[in-house]
Amino acid sequence: MSHTQPVVIEETFDTSIENMWDMWTNGEHFANWYGPQGCTIPVADIDATVGGQRRVSMAMETPNGPMEMWFGGAHLEVSPLTRLVYTEVMTDPAGNPMPPSAMGMDGNKPFVTEVTVELEDLDGRIRVTMTHAGVPAGSPGEFGWRQAFEKLVAYIA
Amino acid sequence: MIAVLDDDRLDQTFAALSNSTRRKMLQQLSKGAATVSELAKPFEMSMPAISKHVRVLEQAGLIRQSRRAQYRPCTIQAAPLNEVVEWTEQYRHIWETSFDRLHSYINEIEQAKEAT
Repeated sequence: MSHTQPVVIEETFDTSIENMWDMWTNGEHFANWYGPQGCTIPVADIDATVGGQRRVSMAMETPNGPMEMWFGGAHLEVSPLTRLVYTEVMTDPAGNPMPPSAMGMDGNKPFVTEVTVELEDLDGRIRVTMTHAGVPAGSPGEFGWRQAFEKLVAYIA
Repeated sequence: MIAVLDDDRLDQTFAALSNSTRRKMLQQLSKGAATVSELAKPFEMSMPAISKHVRVLEQAGLIRQSRRAQYRPCTIQAAPLNEVVEWTEQYRHIWETSFDRLHSYINEIEQAKEAT
Protein backbone atom coordinates (compact mmCIF):
# COMPACT_ATOMS: atom_id res chain seq x y z
CA MET A 1 0.00 0.00 0.00
CA SER A 2 1.60 3.23 -1.13
CA HIS A 3 -0.97 5.83 -0.06
CA THR A 4 -1.97 7.08 3.33
CA GLN A 5 -4.38 9.76 4.41
CA PRO A 6 -4.98 12.51 3.39
CA VAL A 7 -5.30 13.13 -0.36
CA VAL A 8 -2.66 15.64 -1.47
CA ILE A 9 -2.54 17.04 -5.01
CA GLU A 10 -0.01 19.54 -6.23
CA GLU A 11 -0.29 21.25 -9.63
CA THR A 12 1.23 24.25 -11.34
CA PHE A 13 -0.77 26.64 -13.54
CA ASP A 14 0.05 29.45 -15.96
CA THR A 15 -2.12 32.17 -14.51
CA SER A 16 -2.02 34.93 -11.92
CA ILE A 17 -2.31 34.21 -8.21
CA GLU A 18 -5.37 36.52 -8.08
CA ASN A 19 -7.04 34.43 -10.77
CA MET A 20 -6.25 31.18 -8.96
CA TRP A 21 -7.62 32.54 -5.68
CA ASP A 22 -10.86 33.40 -7.52
CA MET A 23 -11.12 29.84 -8.81
CA TRP A 24 -11.66 28.66 -5.23
CA THR A 25 -13.45 31.58 -3.61
CA ASN A 26 -15.79 32.83 -6.35
CA GLY A 27 -18.71 30.44 -6.83
CA GLU A 28 -19.14 31.33 -10.52
CA HIS A 29 -15.60 30.22 -11.24
CA PHE A 30 -15.65 27.23 -8.91
CA ALA A 31 -18.77 25.87 -10.67
CA ASN A 32 -16.89 25.81 -13.98
CA TRP A 33 -14.29 23.28 -13.02
CA TYR A 34 -15.12 21.46 -9.79
CA GLY A 35 -16.36 17.88 -9.76
CA PRO A 36 -15.82 14.68 -11.68
CA GLN A 37 -16.16 14.52 -15.47
CA GLY A 38 -19.78 14.56 -16.64
CA CYS A 39 -21.19 16.42 -13.67
CA THR A 40 -22.40 19.99 -13.48
CA ILE A 41 -22.48 22.39 -10.54
CA PRO A 42 -25.88 24.13 -10.64
CA VAL A 43 -25.27 25.96 -7.34
CA ALA A 44 -22.02 27.24 -5.83
CA ASP A 45 -22.59 29.86 -3.14
CA ILE A 46 -19.26 30.61 -1.52
CA ASP A 47 -18.80 33.19 1.21
CA ALA A 48 -15.03 33.19 1.57
CA THR A 49 -14.76 34.77 4.99
CA VAL A 50 -13.80 33.00 8.21
CA GLY A 51 -16.99 31.26 9.34
CA GLY A 52 -18.57 32.00 5.95
CA GLN A 53 -20.57 29.18 4.42
CA ARG A 54 -20.10 27.13 1.28
CA ARG A 55 -23.11 25.60 -0.43
CA VAL A 56 -22.51 23.52 -3.53
CA SER A 57 -24.78 21.21 -5.48
CA MET A 58 -23.56 18.62 -7.93
CA ALA A 59 -25.76 17.11 -10.63
CA MET A 60 -25.10 14.14 -12.85
CA GLU A 61 -26.87 11.68 -15.07
CA THR A 62 -26.79 8.10 -13.84
CA PRO A 63 -28.24 4.92 -15.33
CA ASN A 64 -31.04 5.38 -12.78
CA GLY A 65 -31.80 8.93 -13.90
CA PRO A 66 -30.57 12.34 -12.82
CA MET A 67 -28.97 12.57 -9.40
CA GLU A 68 -28.28 15.64 -7.32
CA MET A 69 -26.09 15.95 -4.25
CA TRP A 70 -25.63 18.86 -1.90
CA PHE A 71 -22.56 19.81 0.06
CA GLY A 72 -22.15 22.40 2.77
CA GLY A 73 -19.31 23.59 4.91
CA ALA A 74 -17.65 26.59 6.43
CA HIS A 75 -14.37 28.40 6.00
CA LEU A 76 -11.94 27.86 8.86
CA GLU A 77 -9.11 29.96 7.47
CA VAL A 78 -9.07 32.61 4.73
CA SER A 79 -5.68 34.17 4.00
CA PRO A 80 -6.20 35.91 0.64
CA LEU A 81 -3.97 34.70 -2.21
CA THR A 82 -2.22 32.29 0.16
CA ARG A 83 -4.28 29.76 2.05
CA LEU A 84 -7.88 28.60 2.29
CA VAL A 85 -9.23 25.96 4.67
CA TYR A 86 -12.83 24.79 4.60
CA THR A 87 -14.92 21.91 5.81
CA GLU A 88 -17.19 19.83 3.62
CA VAL A 89 -20.18 17.77 4.62
CA MET A 90 -23.04 16.21 2.71
CA THR A 91 -26.32 18.04 3.29
CA ASP A 92 -29.95 17.94 2.25
CA PRO A 93 -31.11 20.60 -0.29
CA ALA A 94 -31.92 22.96 2.61
CA GLY A 95 -28.32 22.81 3.82
CA ASN A 96 -28.78 20.65 6.90
CA PRO A 97 -25.87 18.25 7.42
CA MET A 98 -27.02 14.73 6.77
CA PRO A 99 -25.96 12.04 9.21
CA PRO A 100 -25.59 8.56 7.78
CA SER A 101 -28.69 7.59 9.78
CA ALA A 102 -30.77 9.92 7.56
CA MET A 103 -29.92 7.53 4.75
CA GLY A 104 -30.87 4.50 6.79
CA MET A 105 -27.40 3.61 8.02
CA ASP A 106 -25.47 3.47 11.26
CA GLY A 107 -24.03 6.67 12.61
CA ASN A 108 -25.75 9.72 14.03
CA LYS A 109 -23.17 12.32 13.19
CA PRO A 110 -22.48 13.80 9.75
CA PHE A 111 -19.24 12.80 8.08
CA VAL A 112 -17.07 15.90 7.83
CA THR A 113 -13.98 16.34 5.66
CA GLU A 114 -11.54 19.22 5.50
CA VAL A 115 -9.99 20.81 2.41
CA THR A 116 -6.85 22.96 2.58
CA VAL A 117 -5.73 24.94 -0.48
CA GLU A 118 -2.32 26.59 -0.53
CA LEU A 119 -1.15 28.92 -3.31
CA GLU A 120 2.41 29.86 -4.11
CA ASP A 121 3.78 32.19 -6.78
CA LEU A 122 6.80 30.60 -8.48
CA ASP A 123 8.01 33.49 -10.64
CA GLY A 124 4.74 33.84 -12.50
CA ARG A 125 3.58 30.26 -12.35
CA ILE A 126 1.17 29.37 -9.59
CA ARG A 127 1.58 26.23 -7.55
CA VAL A 128 -1.59 24.87 -5.93
CA THR A 129 -1.37 22.32 -3.15
CA MET A 130 -4.71 20.79 -2.20
CA THR A 131 -5.06 18.57 0.86
CA HIS A 132 -8.32 16.74 1.52
CA ALA A 133 -8.59 14.93 4.84
CA GLY A 134 -11.36 12.85 6.33
CA VAL A 135 -12.24 14.01 9.83
CA PRO A 136 -14.11 11.59 12.05
CA ALA A 137 -17.65 12.62 12.88
CA GLY A 138 -17.89 15.03 15.78
CA SER A 139 -14.19 15.69 16.13
CA PRO A 140 -13.16 18.22 13.49
CA GLY A 141 -9.66 19.42 14.19
CA GLU A 142 -8.67 16.32 16.08
CA PHE A 143 -5.47 15.04 14.59
CA GLY A 144 -4.54 12.24 16.94
CA TRP A 145 -6.58 9.72 15.02
CA ARG A 146 -4.68 10.54 11.85
CA GLN A 147 -1.37 9.70 13.44
CA ALA A 148 -2.83 6.50 14.78
CA PHE A 149 -4.26 5.78 11.38
CA GLU A 150 -0.93 6.29 9.64
CA LYS A 151 0.70 3.86 12.02
CA LEU A 152 -2.02 1.32 11.35
CA VAL A 153 -1.76 1.73 7.61
CA ALA A 154 1.99 1.31 7.88
CA TYR A 155 1.29 -1.84 9.82
CA ILE A 156 -1.02 -3.36 7.21
CA ALA A 157 1.10 -2.25 4.24
CA MET B 1 -18.54 10.42 -4.40
CA ILE B 2 -21.91 9.45 -3.03
CA ALA B 3 -21.16 5.76 -3.37
CA VAL B 4 -18.23 6.34 -1.08
CA LEU B 5 -20.06 8.37 1.52
CA ASP B 6 -22.98 5.94 1.47
CA ASP B 7 -20.77 3.16 2.62
CA ASP B 8 -22.06 2.38 6.11
CA ARG B 9 -19.17 0.11 6.82
CA LEU B 10 -16.70 2.87 6.14
CA ASP B 11 -18.69 5.09 8.45
CA GLN B 12 -18.49 2.41 11.12
CA THR B 13 -14.73 2.24 10.67
CA PHE B 14 -14.32 5.99 11.09
CA ALA B 15 -16.68 6.00 14.06
CA ALA B 16 -14.66 3.24 15.68
CA LEU B 17 -11.41 5.10 15.01
CA SER B 18 -12.75 8.37 16.41
CA ASN B 19 -12.20 7.33 20.03
CA SER B 20 -8.79 7.53 21.68
CA THR B 21 -9.25 4.43 23.89
CA ARG B 22 -10.09 2.36 20.83
CA ARG B 23 -7.17 3.76 18.85
CA LYS B 24 -4.83 2.84 21.70
CA MET B 25 -6.31 -0.66 21.74
CA LEU B 26 -5.70 -0.98 18.00
CA GLN B 27 -2.15 0.23 18.39
CA GLN B 28 -1.54 -2.38 21.04
CA LEU B 29 -3.08 -5.06 18.80
CA SER B 30 -0.90 -3.96 15.89
CA LYS B 31 1.99 -5.37 17.93
CA GLY B 32 0.26 -8.73 18.39
CA ALA B 33 -2.79 -10.55 19.72
CA ALA B 34 -4.03 -9.66 23.22
CA THR B 35 -6.81 -10.76 25.53
CA VAL B 36 -9.50 -8.32 26.64
CA SER B 37 -7.96 -8.10 30.12
CA GLU B 38 -4.57 -7.32 28.58
CA LEU B 39 -6.24 -4.60 26.50
CA ALA B 40 -7.88 -3.23 29.66
CA LYS B 41 -4.62 -2.89 31.61
CA PRO B 42 -3.52 0.63 30.48
CA PHE B 43 -6.97 2.12 31.21
CA GLU B 44 -8.69 3.02 34.45
CA MET B 45 -12.00 1.83 33.22
CA SER B 46 -14.65 -0.67 34.27
CA MET B 47 -14.70 -4.02 32.51
CA PRO B 48 -18.15 -3.31 31.00
CA ALA B 49 -16.76 -0.09 29.51
CA ILE B 50 -13.73 -1.95 28.14
CA SER B 51 -15.97 -4.67 26.71
CA LYS B 52 -18.06 -2.04 25.00
CA HIS B 53 -15.01 -0.57 23.24
CA VAL B 54 -13.91 -4.05 22.19
CA ARG B 55 -17.39 -4.70 20.84
CA VAL B 56 -17.38 -1.48 18.77
CA LEU B 57 -14.02 -2.46 17.25
CA GLU B 58 -15.29 -5.94 16.55
CA GLN B 59 -18.52 -4.71 14.95
CA ALA B 60 -16.50 -2.37 12.73
CA GLY B 61 -14.49 -5.42 11.69
CA LEU B 62 -11.26 -3.85 12.94
CA ILE B 63 -10.54 -6.72 15.29
CA ARG B 64 -11.56 -10.30 15.58
CA GLN B 65 -12.00 -12.12 18.89
CA SER B 66 -11.29 -15.81 18.83
CA ARG B 67 -14.28 -17.86 19.98
CA ARG B 68 -12.31 -21.06 20.37
CA ALA B 69 -9.17 -20.50 22.41
CA GLN B 70 -9.67 -20.49 26.16
CA TYR B 71 -8.41 -16.91 26.61
CA ARG B 72 -10.22 -15.63 23.51
CA PRO B 73 -7.42 -13.37 22.21
CA CYS B 74 -8.22 -10.40 19.96
CA THR B 75 -6.37 -9.82 16.69
CA ILE B 76 -6.34 -6.78 14.40
CA GLN B 77 -8.02 -7.05 10.96
CA ALA B 78 -6.73 -5.14 7.97
CA ALA B 79 -9.78 -5.16 5.65
CA PRO B 80 -11.65 -2.10 6.99
CA LEU B 81 -8.45 -0.07 6.98
CA ASN B 82 -7.97 -0.99 3.34
CA GLU B 83 -11.44 0.40 2.68
CA VAL B 84 -10.44 3.69 4.28
CA VAL B 85 -7.48 3.79 1.92
CA GLU B 86 -9.80 3.08 -1.02
CA TRP B 87 -12.01 5.95 0.12
CA THR B 88 -8.93 8.18 -0.08
CA GLU B 89 -8.24 6.92 -3.60
CA GLN B 90 -11.72 7.81 -4.81
CA TYR B 91 -11.36 11.35 -3.49
CA ARG B 92 -8.01 11.54 -5.23
CA HIS B 93 -9.69 10.59 -8.51
CA ILE B 94 -12.36 13.29 -8.13
CA TRP B 95 -9.74 15.95 -7.44
CA GLU B 96 -7.54 14.83 -10.29
CA THR B 97 -10.38 15.14 -12.81
CA SER B 98 -11.35 18.50 -11.26
CA PHE B 99 -7.78 19.74 -11.66
CA ASP B 100 -7.80 18.66 -15.33
CA ARG B 101 -10.94 20.74 -15.81
CA LEU B 102 -9.33 23.61 -13.93
CA HIS B 103 -6.42 23.57 -16.38
CA SER B 104 -8.79 23.80 -19.38
CA TYR B 105 -10.90 26.49 -17.74
CA ILE B 106 -7.87 28.64 -16.95
CA ASN B 107 -6.60 28.23 -20.52
CA GLU B 108 -9.96 29.47 -21.79
CA ILE B 109 -9.87 32.47 -19.49
CA GLU B 110 -6.27 33.34 -20.33
CA GLN B 111 -6.98 33.05 -24.09
CA ALA B 112 -10.08 35.22 -23.76
CA LYS B 113 -7.93 37.81 -21.97
CA GLU B 114 -5.34 37.79 -24.72
CA ALA B 115 -8.02 38.16 -27.38
CA THR B 116 -9.32 41.40 -25.88
